Amino acid sequence: MNSFKKNLLKKRYNAERRFQWYGKIAIGLALSFLAVFMFQIFSKGYSAFQKTWIVTEVHYDKELLLIDAESPSKDDLENADYYDVAYKAMTSLDPGLPEEEDRQLIQMVSYKYEAEVKDLLLKNPDYLGKIVPIKLTASDDIDQVHKGNYPRDIPEKNRRVNDYQLQIYDMLNERGDILSEFNISFFTNPDSREAELAGIASSFMGTVFSILVCLAFSFPVAVLAAIYLEEFAPKNKFTDFIEVNINNLAAVPSIVFGLLGLGILLAVFNLPRSTPLVGGITLSLMTLPTIIIAARASLKAVPPSIREAALAMGASNMQTTMHHTVPLSMPGTLSGTIIGLAQALGETAPLILIGMVAFVNTIPGTPVDPAASLPVQIYIWSESAERGFVEKVSACIMVLLAFLILMNLAAQIVRHKFEKKWS
Amino acid sequence: MSKIKAENVNVYYGSKQALFDVSIDIAEKEVTALIGPSGCGKSTFLRCLNRMNDVIDICRVEGSIKMDNLELNSRKLDVVRLRENVGMVFQKPNPFPKTIYENVAYGPTIHGIAQSKEEMDQIVETSLKKAALWNEVKDRLDEIGTGLSGGQQQRLCIARAISVSPEVILMDEPCSALDPIATAQIEELIDDLKKEVTIVIVTHSMSQAARVSQKTGFFHLGKLIEFGSTDKIFKNPDKQQTQDYITGRFG
Repeated sequence: MNSFKKNLLKKRYNAERRFQWYGKIAIGLALSFLAVFMFQIFSKGYSAFQKTWIVTEVHYDKELLLIDAESPSKDDLENADYYDVAYKAMTSLDPGLPEEEDRQLIQMVSYKYEAEVKDLLLKNPDYLGKIVPIKLTASDDIDQVHKGNYPRDIPEKNRRVNDYQLQIYDMLNERGDILSEFNISFFTNPDSREAELAGIASSFMGTVFSILVCLAFSFPVAVLAAIYLEEFAPKNKFTDFIEVNINNLAAVPSIVFGLLGLGILLAVFNLPRSTPLVGGITLSLMTLPTIIIAARASLKAVPPSIREAALAMGASNMQTTMHHTVPLSMPGTLSGTIIGLAQALGETAPLILIGMVAFVNTIPGTPVDPAASLPVQIYIWSESAERGFVEKVSACIMVLLAFLILMNLAAQIVRHKFEKKWS
Repeated sequence: MSKIKAENVNVYYGSKQALFDVSIDIAEKEVTALIGPSGCGKSTFLRCLNRMNDVIDICRVEGSIKMDNLELNSRKLDVVRLRENVGMVFQKPNPFPKTIYENVAYGPTIHGIAQSKEEMDQIVETSLKKAALWNEVKDRLDEIGTGLSGGQQQRLCIARAISVSPEVILMDEPCSALDPIATAQIEELIDDLKKEVTIVIVTHSMSQAARVSQKTGFFHLGKLIEFGSTDKIFKNPDKQQTQDYITGRFG
């Protein structure tokens, strides 16, 4: 081997080695970005899954409750006046406090504390007349103090929690009367203006309904369109034109579809505003081209020999398509559908335009009830000033990611099943 | 007796002509072999006989092809009915990715041949027996057809083709993807089948044509050069071109 050849060979090996290194660096970079992203979200968001309670004692005094009956019925308990009882439960934490300063103590718990006092008695009617310990939802600020997210060293006038409240908090904490428990209400509560009460139930259900509506509209339409275009339509200028436009549609910014939904679904058809029904249809406009393209590609990938076999057996075009081609293309079509739905799942802009950005403090039971969606909820909370919402944003992202992962998993399982059957 | 009579068949792919004035008489219950070098148009001709060329948009067929006095090259012809009567076996085994049973039962199902489950079972069994595959698969009819070996797959395709009791079976190089043992099995099968069915087989192997066929047609560049009894074509052809091809001087 002469030196020229040797050099050439060496160069080729070096080039390959360099190329592999570029690849490794690229993957390393991507993974480290992912790690930073995940760390950010988890470190900020994990505390949202903890809820802070303040434990105090409540005296269900019949006189203060304004209950006259000897053995009160459920209705009596329901209609009793809990204001004083609840008020006393909080102010008893510091009996020496002058009355005009009471607000400072009351502010340490959620504004719904009166309802919590009521609920406990309704669940345990035998507490009537007794003094029992009660857990009250700590206010957003105390919650943040307890989680260590609240700087204590800034001047008092710049703080939402004043020195007196911090002092009470420290006392309670020392006594072990500040509890930290898993935050179930984050999953069961709808949105709220109060960070400590805000949950994702309404936006989660909104997302579920939107995705279902989106699937119900886009999947059949897209699959039928793909089958017709691929298996039946004549190949001419017109079908070429349609194909180009479907590809273009897949690249249209989502906000444009939002405008379309606003202009047609809401303005012309008068569908109910802010509902998953409208959101889902709008999203299905976006998902449609993605599914059509995927379905066509997987129909194309079915070997022509299968079609020929069926046709030669005397199957009609329709039978060939429905008995053989379509079932064989299903795994590909399904994964395309999941990709489309995953895009729709994270879509915010079109939903904002059709009004799913409204503050919804009820949990939607049907697709025609007003709702938010998870990405819109993230957007709404990220605009809120309260410190408590910062962790909620990250927690909501985590839920969205978990939702995505679950969907992909389901898709993989379905896909696997189909492929097993047909291979 | 003539089963299929083709007269002056011309086939065009777009502006390119693939077959020139092919006229041929295919006799009933005989094996007719079509031989010739690649691209000579023998497969194109075969696909005219069950209208498989319809699938190709740019393909145009002219001339007359009559099967029992029924004009095949007519717009009015019901292609589905034709293909029920004219089965086809392809070069590459192409069983459906379904069970062995479903593969054979597919034709009878779509053509409504079996009235009951028992009748269908019977059709599947007879077809597989005729295709000499029954003994190998009778215990695993619910396994996927594509899991069989190449030779078994091709016999499954033959079983599928005969399940609707066609009058004619077209075979497009059915053994080109198979080993010699599987080829021998298929050839035996062809010998058996010709008692009931008219067979037209396209093959690249001249020895195969000599072994299985009674009539042979030699195609070259889209023209039928010579057609006659296999004996005559192989021993004493009229045309020099045929002689050259048979003896391996070109092709």
